[in-house]
Amino acid sequence: MNCNEAAATIAAYADGEVDRLRSHTIRKHLRTCPSCAAKHQELLALHARIRAEIPYFKAPSALRERVLATFADATPARGDRVRSADRWRWMTGGALAGCAATIVAWVIGTAIVDWRTNEDLAVEAVTTHVRATLGNHRVEVASSDQHTVKPWLSARLDYSPPVRDLAREGFALVGGRIDYLDRRPVAALVYRYRDHMIDVFVRPPTTHAPPAALRTVRGFNVAHATGSGMDWLAVSDLNAAELSNFVARVAQ
Amino acid sequence: MPHLNAAYNLARWLARDANDADDVVQDACVRALKYVGSLHGNEARAWFLTIVRHAFYDWLGRNRPSEIVQDDGTALDTAIDHAAVDPEQSASRNDQTQALVDAVAALPLQYREVLVLRELEELSYKEIARVADIPIGTVMSRLARARALLQRSPLLHAVAGNMSGSER
Ligand SMILES: [Zn+2]
Repeated sequence: MNCNEAAATIAAYADGEVDRLRSHTIRKHLRTCPSCAAKHQELLALHARIRAEIPYFKAPSALRERVLATFADATPARGDRVRSADRWRWMTGGALAGCAATIVAWVIGTAIVDWRTNEDLAVEAVTTHVRATLGNHRVEVASSDQHTVKPWLSARLDYSPPVRDLAREGFALVGGRIDYLDRRPVAALVYRYRDHMIDVFVRPPTTHAPPAALRTVRGFNVAHATGSGMDWLAVSDLNAAELSNFVARVAQ
Repeated sequence: MPHLNAAYNLARWLARDANDADDVVQDACVRALKYVGSLHGNEARAWFLTIVRHAFYDWLGRNRPSEIVQDDGTALDTAIDHAAVDPEQSASRNDQTQALVDAVAALPLQYREVLVLRELEELSYKEIARVADIPIGTVMSRLARARALLQRSPLLHAVAGNMSGSER
């Protein structure tokens, strides 16, 4: 390789766009040619300066809000006022074939769409679990007594979630809180198993396809069961086998 | 929200104004929703940036038509746009850094966009070619031009004389 040939490829080489064979040839030339090596160094230095000093503009929160509003406005465009379930059908139907939900979630980076698809439900459950843990807002009613927790929750919901005492199996009831899934209030029961905290969300079954029995989201396990006329979704850093066992027991 | 940030960053560097970037990104989101059928998995980011770019050029045509320069490969060396200098932001930065920021903002549009897509968004040549709708050879020549303009920028040299890598 001579200097003319090198000059044509140094930038591509610095940008990582040159295949291995040609990279080898260029490296050989750079080792023996101070002037091409200096050009290469200048490109790397410029790149480093741009990366370090040029601001990367993050979308302002006001813009984010307006974009959300844009999507909210655009979504029911084909019908009049629609309930969210119908809107979901609109989004998943026809030409859009489910992509609208994807793109909204993906543009905004949070699951603002109906998350009744299995994946979104698990993701939202994990997000909710993490938020409660980080915010130190695990329980609103702290009690190991199912007869205290259940009426507290029932008074705040339009359904009455069964609350089980599983202390003998090692799952200690810590308490409960009202949280939100599917933009609706939901009963969150909190159990401790050894040093693992478990959130289990309890709600009446929906008409949508049930979530997968077991999923892992960002290192958390999400286990689903149905039982006692309810949908049960447990989230924890507890291992998958024990969490599955737990959710099956608590839902019984 | 990585993609919205990417969209805003590109729009902000192209428009060089926060409010205008807002408008462009909003328009791009509306379009994205409309043409959502052509979304393909991991190409999504480049695809969305393509929409942002189209939204920007449409906005430019409506609002600042004089900025659309024919790229004939000449005369652009001197097309440093001093209106691009952003006085609000200069206070917190040292002079060297501010000079570099100004020099990037002053790059002619065709060069600024490939530079931002490459250096800030880290798109591959192939992705840039798709976003900017130009052949890969043109991506390479515009990148080379953008970098050469930066290295020789009078804005930079007015401050520091020299920004060659050997000094750093
Ligand atoms: Zn050489």
